Amino acid sequence: MALSLRSAARSIWKTLSSIKTGVVLIILVVIFSAAGTVILQRPMTEPDDMARAYSPAMLRLLDAAGLTDVYHTRWFVSLMLLVSFSIIAASVERFPNAWRYFARPYKSPDEGFRKVLPTQAHVAITDEEQGLGAAERAFRHMHLKSERIVRPDRFSLFAERNRISEMAVYIVHTSLLLIFLGAIVDGLYGWRGFLMLTPGTAGNQVEMRNGSTRTLPFSIRCDGTGEETYTDGTPKRWWSKLAVVDNGQEVSSKEIVVNDPLVYNGVRFYQASYGRTGKLDRLVLNAVPKTAAGQAQEISLSQNQIVSLDADTKVQVAEFIPDFVVQDGHVYARSNDVVNPAVHLIVTSEKTNKVVNFWLPEITGVAENASSPYNFEPKDLKTGVFTGLEVSHEPGQWAVWAGVVLMAIGLTFVFYVIHVRFWVVPVQDARGNLALWIGGSANRNRDAFEQTFKRLVEQVEKELKPRFEEAAEKPAASLPRTTTAGR
Amino acid sequence: MARARVEQHPATGMTLVVMVGLSIAFLLFIAFLNVVKSGDILSEANLLYAALVFYGGAGALYLGFGVTGTESYIKFASLATWAGLIANTAAVAHRWYEAGHPPFASLYEMLLSFVWTLAALTLIAEKRYAVKVIGTVTMPVAIVGVVLMQLLRSEVRPLVPALQSTWLHVHVTLAMLAYAACALSFALAMMFLIQDKLKTERFLAATSIFTVGIYASVLTRFEGWGGFNVIAWDADNKSEVFLAKNVRLFVTIPDLGWLMLLVFAAVVAPLALFILARVRKNEAFLSIANRAVFISILLQSLALVFFVIRTRDSQYSSLDAEGLYSTNLAASPFILSALVAGIFANLLYLLLLWRREDLERLLPDADTLDRITYKTICIAFPLLTLMIAAGAYWANKAWGSYWNWDPKETWAAITWLVYAGYLHMRITRGWRGRRAAYFAILGFGVVMFTFFGVTYLLNGLHSYA
Repeated sequence: MALSLRSAARSIWKTLSSIKTGVVLIILVVIFSAAGTVILQRPMTEPDDMARAYSPAMLRLLDAAGLTDVYHTRWFVSLMLLVSFSIIAASVERFPNAWRYFARPYKSPDEGFRKVLPTQAHVAITDEEQGLGAAERAFRHMHLKSERIVRPDRFSLFAERNRISEMAVYIVHTSLLLIFLGAIVDGLYGWRGFLMLTPGTAGNQVEMRNGSTRTLPFSIRCDGTGEETYTDGTPKRWWSKLAVVDNGQEVSSKEIVVNDPLVYNGVRFYQASYGRTGKLDRLVLNAVPKTAAGQAQEISLSQNQIVSLDADTKVQVAEFIPDFVVQDGHVYARSNDVVNPAVHLIVTSEKTNKVVNFWLPEITGVAENASSPYNFEPKDLKTGVFTGLEVSHEPGQWAVWAGVVLMAIGLTFVFYVIHVRFWVVPVQDARGNLALWIGGSANRNRDAFEQTFKRLVEQVEKELKPRFEEAAEKPAASLPRTTTAGR
Repeated sequence: MARARVEQHPATGMTLVVMVGLSIAFLLFIAFLNVVKSGDILSEANLLYAALVFYGGAGALYLGFGVTGTESYIKFASLATWAGLIANTAAVAHRWYEAGHPPFASLYEMLLSFVWTLAALTLIAEKRYAVKVIGTVTMPVAIVGVVLMQLLRSEVRPLVPALQSTWLHVHVTLAMLAYAACALSFALAMMFLIQDKLKTERFLAATSIFTVGIYASVLTRFEGWGGFNVIAWDADNKSEVFLAKNVRLFVTIPDLGWLMLLVFAAVVAPLALFILARVRKNEAFLSIANRAVFISILLQSLALVFFVIRTRDSQYSSLDAEGLYSTNLAASPFILSALVAGIFANLLYLLLLWRREDLERLLPDADTLDRITYKTICIAFPLLTLMIAAGAYWANKAWGSYWNWDPKETWAAITWLVYAGYLHMRITRGWRGRRAAYFAILGFGVVMFTFFGVTYLLNGLHSYA
């Protein structure tokens, strides 16, 4: 039983770590994420639009399969987890081999290796020491550090560059896992919402995507907001002056614009939108008395503010309708956009207790402008504005950015840093002539490496020449002809 | 049209060069007359027109080279490409100066940059890697790009707040470089397939399926009794007519649908014949199929001409609203480029059929092409990665989240995954040659969908381009 369990685990592990599984998983991710771009997604689409696009039966089916919110369904998340496991398994499975390669480099090539290595050359020499010396100088000329390897049966030179390149793939895979980790952390602990503020107010109730609200442990106060437009009216810049109020104290403040958020305690506030509330901020009127005695005066009104025009008469704004329409003798608001505003003023005389409904503009049926003691002319109208703030908390983003940086490093290593190795061994051919066997290998970009290798061999030959004459004059350096190399 | 005539009578020696030279001179002369009349010489439209004329000349010469194998054409073709590139550079500079930001902010500006990169890369590939015929593929793409630009909305539009960021430039520069590298790897993979002695009937099958796909999707606009639906165009505002938010108004061009149906039948014929040849194991069907390809090219050209004539500036009625609405080529960039691409793909097949041996002689050997394809992808992949990373970082600043599963983002990720798959298969499984080439072609298909398809077909946050 235990054995079969272990073998089952073993076979699962084998399947997970195989490249075939990896490719199948990638294909599945591709298919489902592509489906998510073709089928309307709930989080981004209004329910009405969903209902218009699909028949009710179809919509039920799509909902049941989770296809209307692909990227957040359990099975998609499980798929991503499976991909992560597959990457981990594949890396773990292959890592020991690569690590051996990395930690214990193969420095002293035996005969079998020398036979099969594709990139190799022979250079005739007269003496082992002289040959190896020339090779060492040639390496130095190519800015490579060589080391002498002495084995009981062999004697050789080894030089290499960029061994780290063997680890590059693991760097990339680790970076991908880091990004996934960040995304998972954000999926579990992160949240996003919306906060609407009007200048002068503070708020800490964030409206979440799913309709619930979230209370922040501090509040955000808006000290002003505004819009700059291009001459054709398209928005150029939105800004908001925000202050963070924590425990009754202002702890931080910033003027945010699109692309430049305010961050406090890991919660970020983005300028997402800007607009008009459709509510009255300030109305400036010219009040002209109908009797000849009085004088015209300029008054400024806000919602519910009562202003005395003279000892007897008072005026106040009863209603402000940003976009009015008249139907069946009633005035309705069509929208919150200030495109066709109407103001309902109430003029009261204390003595007679007379109340007059004054409308600007004069809407027949409801306006009693004629019986008002004053005429009002509109001078200026300011309506309220709001700033729309996107609020988000993404504690996992640092893992994501770390992953991105690591991936850039890893990919650079994968594609542009090449592990090259060279071996030089003095050998004797079948007829007993001495020669230097030079071999080389690169883990990538082999055709460019061929050129490097050719240059090395040429350099060795060049280094050999002057020495050749020197060696002829002096007796050969007295290196004990140890166990003949190669045999 | 002049080009088609040249193909059928392979010009010898300098005839084509003289003809193309004369056409360029003639077109520039006409343009010059217009310029004198309007008095504005260095406007962007004029520069683009010059670029179009030169690219057109270069394309004709490259194609002439492909058809006749006359080496001297190449020299003149690169000369014309250089001239086009200079005009294109001036147009980019003009745009940049006028808009005050690099030309990356709309589809028009992206195309401007894309065509520039493509022309520059063509010259590099030609000089550095001696891949001479690459202009045969890239120049027509550049021409289509410039023609599309004439139709798209081109006035300098101010940047909306979300686009005002240095990350825009980083992100888009990386995207353009990555996409151009992908385009190059695609062209190289195609050439590899030629050099790898892939049978011509395989190309026949591929081009036929491609063309059938094009006309099948074009026919989704078929309406009632032979009508053909196109999007209504508001000439004053230079924009599509909308019935409601994201709901475009279609107008019906009568009878054009029948023509499209006929062309569909004509492009299905070679594919059917190919399948017949496969099933019956009878080579005779293939030669009929080749003739059918020729006929389908003629019909496709006819469809294109009629489409252009009838769409240009006429008014049609609509099913969804009363009255007559006008339409314009700019309202249907997709159909236009699909029709052009279909003709182009079939012409390439004919070229291959006639001049295979010459082509094989002129291209680098298969191993080299395979290696260069891999190398270009090795350049494209890190660029894609950085492009996505820069986009994510910017999105995090502008939209409040580094990943929104927006269609453009998702498709960028899919592109990345496809190329990642390619690299894994190549490095760990040792995929070389044909399978790797198919993968490179698939990758570029996904890139094109991400670039154009997502913008036109799928709505999302990423609506600028």
